[in-house]
Amino acid sequence: MRGSSFGYLVKEGSRNIWTNRMMSIASVGVLVACMLLIGTAVLFSINLNQVMGYMEDQNEMVAFIDDDASAAAIKKIDAALGEISNIGSMTYVSREQAIEEYKKIMGDSGTLLDGLEEDEVFPNSYRIQVDDLSRLEETVEDVESITGIMKVNAPTDVAQTITSVKQIVYVAGTGIVGILVAVSLLIIANTIKITVFNRRREINIMKYVGATDTFIRLPFLVEGTLLGLISAVIAYLALWGGYTYVLNWLEENQSIALVSFTQNFLPFSSVTKDLLLGFVLGGVGIGGFGSMIFVRRYLKV
Amino acid sequence: MIRFTNVSKTYPSGTEALRDVNLEIQDGEFVFIVGASGAGKSTLIKMLLREEVPSSGSIEINGYRVNKLRRRQIPMFRRSLGVVFQDFRLIPNMNVYDNVAFALRVTNVSTRDIRRRVPYILSLVGLAAKAKSMPEQLSGGEQQRVALARALVNNPKLIIADEPTGNIDPELSFEIVDLLNEINKCGTTVLMVTHEHDLVAQFNRRVITIEKGHIVADDLDWRPQQ
Repeated sequence: MRGSSFGYLVKEGSRNIWTNRMMSIASVGVLVACMLLIGTAVLFSINLNQVMGYMEDQNEMVAFIDDDASAAAIKKIDAALGEISNIGSMTYVSREQAIEEYKKIMGDSGTLLDGLEEDEVFPNSYRIQVDDLSRLEETVEDVESITGIMKVNAPTDVAQTITSVKQIVYVAGTGIVGILVAVSLLIIANTIKITVFNRRREINIMKYVGATDTFIRLPFLVEGTLLGLISAVIAYLALWGGYTYVLNWLEENQSIALVSFTQNFLPFSSVTKDLLLGFVLGGVGIGGFGSMIFVRRYLKV
Repeated sequence: MIRFTNVSKTYPSGTEALRDVNLEIQDGEFVFIVGASGAGKSTLIKMLLREEVPSSGSIEINGYRVNKLRRRQIPMFRRSLGVVFQDFRLIPNMNVYDNVAFALRVTNVSTRDIRRRVPYILSLVGLAAKAKSMPEQLSGGEQQRVALARALVNNPKLIIADEPTGNIDPELSFEIVDLLNEINKCGTTVLMVTHEHDLVAQFNRRVITIEKGHIVADDLDWRPQQ
């Protein structure tokens, strides 16, 4: 293939986009719409996961230590706790610290607790965060079995709810994205089919005047790839704008109840690279290869 | 040169389109192929273009053994002939010039050669003034002349015209055939399929008649008997 032909093929591919601009706009529209839907679903489910993760982190159990435990016994408990695999982090809270904290929580009424420091009202305790919330109950039992532990307070009901909600979010998120991808592929395939069908006459003539199959296909490849790339960029910019707008709006209209959620939303910059890469690869792949596949049908003359 | 040796074609549906056809057309000849619809003309054309391969027998065109061609060799073979169809098959969103240049562009011809060759061919078919027109702005006869220009532009040794006058007013049909006649005088082999006997009668040329898949007549002079 000579240089002027290569130039022709690229020029022809780009020119085709303009000549068939209605079809090009339709294809880009379909691609952008599909990418926006998928992108939104992905962002939504990532953020939901993030929030669930945050809620998981908020869960801690408190293990109270027997009042008569000596310093040596507490050391043993410390070691025993360290051996339980599901424990992510733990802090020792002495009874003095516990009282101080309660005073803070009670604010002005804190003075009511004055003088109680000596009376051992609050036991020494450990605050324990678990790694895997779904194994909380099991971990509670492990902690309870340690000698010297008086009692364990753990939000097992909440943990169960969160775990199952998280599972639902994961399954539903994956499912929705999966369905969207499948539907998108169908719509895009159909759009490409129509585009190629509209040009069957050209393809047919090319065959009769002796154009090689490669020569017929390349402009379609160039065209499909370009359209995919354009769609990816448009979808990316639109999603970027939309997402940032929503985040700003949430920040300005913060409600107390939701603040802990919204704080955990990801900034767009943290998903930028993956999202753009996904869109470009998806767009270019579908555009390029889709056209190639559907042109094949008309090459059999 | 075209040579059909014992060519038969049976379609998968069981239709026997051609039966044991033997045919030889020398370089520089002008041949009409006539026959009623369903006689096998279309199949014959499809074999000439290597759209279909014979069920048995062999075909040789311009030195290519057509029934033995590999898929990759088909484009080169097709560049050695020019085709004109009944329905013109012009590209509607390209002007006359580009429609003709298209045949060269898609076959690796340099831009310089295209600029030289297309205007020459357009003037040959008498459409130099309409180079910028779109196909829909032209009459049927003019559109067919554009198609003819496209078939001629890569200088083929053989022109195959499949009912080229089928969609054209009768008074303009003569013009098209006359143009083919002129092209033939320059040395190009012309093979024209038609069922317009009146038209054939006006030219004193070889006429091959097909009926039910057989060649039933192959005469040189086919003017009406008085």
